[in-house]
Amino acid sequence: MKRYWWIGLIFAGALILPLTVEEFWVHVAIEILILGLFAVSFNMIFGYMGQLSFGHAAFYGVGAYATGMLMVKTPIPLPICLAASMIAAGVCAVIIGYFCVRLTGIYFAILTLAFGQLIYYIIFQWYSFTGGDNGLQGIVPPKMLFGATAYYYFTLFIVGAALIVIWYIIRSPFGYTMRAIRDNADRTRFIGINVRRYMLINFVVAAMFAGLAGGLLGPFNRSISPDLCNWHQSGVPVFMTVIGGALGFLGPMIGSVVYTFLMAFVTGFTEYWPLVIGSVIILVVLFVPGGILGLVEERVKIFRSKDMADGVDESTHKESA
Amino acid sequence: MDFSLVIAQFLSGLSRGMMLFLIASGLSLIFGVMNILNFAHAALWLAGAYFCYTFWYLMQGYGFGLWVAIPLAALAMAAIGWVIEVVLIRRVYDRELSEQLLLTYGLILVIDDLIKLTWGAEDKLITRPPLVASPVFFFGIPFDSYFIFVILIGVAVAIGLWLFLKKTRYGHIVRAAVFSREMVGALGIPIPRIYTGVFVLGIFIAGLAGAVQAPVGSITLGMDTAVIVQAFCVVVIGGFGSLLGTFVGSMIVGEVYAFSILFWPQGALALIFIITALVLIARPWGLFGTPMRT
Repeated sequence: MKRYWWIGLIFAGALILPLTVEEFWVHVAIEILILGLFAVSFNMIFGYMGQLSFGHAAFYGVGAYATGMLMVKTPIPLPICLAASMIAAGVCAVIIGYFCVRLTGIYFAILTLAFGQLIYYIIFQWYSFTGGDNGLQGIVPPKMLFGATAYYYFTLFIVGAALIVIWYIIRSPFGYTMRAIRDNADRTRFIGINVRRYMLINFVVAAMFAGLAGGLLGPFNRSISPDLCNWHQSGVPVFMTVIGGALGFLGPMIGSVVYTFLMAFVTGFTEYWPLVIGSVIILVVLFVPGGILGLVEERVKIFRSKDMADGVDESTHKESA
Repeated sequence: MDFSLVIAQFLSGLSRGMMLFLIASGLSLIFGVMNILNFAHAALWLAGAYFCYTFWYLMQGYGFGLWVAIPLAALAMAAIGWVIEVVLIRRVYDRELSEQLLLTYGLILVIDDLIKLTWGAEDKLITRPPLVASPVFFFGIPFDSYFIFVILIGVAVAIGLWLFLKKTRYGHIVRAAVFSREMVGALGIPIPRIYTGVFVLGIFIAGLAGAVQAPVGSITLGMDTAVIVQAFCVVVIGGFGSLLGTFVGSMIVGEVYAFSILFWPQGALALIFIITALVLIARPWGLFGTPMRT
């Protein structure tokens, strides 16, 4: 356990953060947490199952709409809405995942993209139910969580709990099975494991956490729009994971910190944020292939956690499809 | 439903399908040969449309302005495609799928914003020359005469690509590279040069498609976001790397869209995604693709 003192350090830092900075940065911190959970859930599919999903934003959006619509139309308390978000995203993922886990590599990426766009168009076109491209306004959090600081602690609690659960899933026999499937699906099948069922379960669990992240977004922004599930949004967790490093548990979270900070900083003085982030993406892909965590790991031994990089062989990790 | 309506929808689906074919053929060629899924294809297509606008604007005084602007725009995009290939794409040939996708995803963001910086946020409109300004009538049904030109260009590109792939030495090499690049490389053919050529050709066709699209309506920022996903659908339905498949896929998507819009306007695009998903599930390599790619 000695290795994990720095997690305690980060947590302590996160606790005292709102007391030390302006409200603007508290907003940024909330966004980091929400997008971070979104990216970590994406990495359950990408890093630990070895498949690239380009439709993960669909579950994020479904979660956001589930909580948003329940809060606008019913008096149901927020925590139950969030649970409903997870269930809604999970149900969608069962249907979508049932088909997607039959494919691998580029086909998996395109099928998730196609299904993601399907969900996007359903939300976009179904005016009477979702409000279409007007989005959903007036998602007001309960009075207790009205201020930025209060909502920050609430988000920190939910995201922290979700991260701990994901951590245990990844370290469980189930998590090791996923890594076995990633590294060699055929051999995993030979020892009697139902590869597709495991992949489907993992896909659904990842989608549920994406839905939870989406659910947290509505009451924070007070509004949501269908753009949340457009394919552009699906590129965000991919980028966060690649910049942070897909092989570390907290890699996507680090990516979220980098991405969100950069966004808060850049959008302050230019409207050309896509140009900046696009250039950063290209430079990272070309020159920092292992992500930031990969860079750090090369230099600092302390971050090299054995079970993170376990059994990762670059050649087998490559797509074979 | 009366006969004239069927004809009208068929023609509208045909022109839509031809547009999609122009975009998707380059996408399919690049993926088939280079194994790189070019997310930025539609962004380059949009840039082609803006280039066409600029060239047309400069030659506004002449009657032939548009007809010169379209090939010029395609050539300009080919040059840009060459730069992108040599500077960026070449470096990620051996990288993982996620990094290749992310690179072209980053390219979209950069290209879209560069377009906004260069041409501004307001819509651009090209005044058509008189030859294609007024509609023609088929069986008493009005049909935009410009779309006759679109269909002709689509057919010309299809035939041109087919001849190139079947009859020329370079085309044979490209087809062999779709099948097995190691073998082609082992025969002493410089693979990087083939890749660059294919990428430039693909972007040339994308630029041509954008330029041809430009006079259809106004040119708007963000037009490319919806187009790229439909182009993916076309390529998936037809099969990556198959010219015939891309053609058939485009026609299917164009006609399905044109006819479903009569019955269920909100669901037209959704239906296309459902067809795509069905094809992916039943035949991941598409209707005309080959399953034995490595």
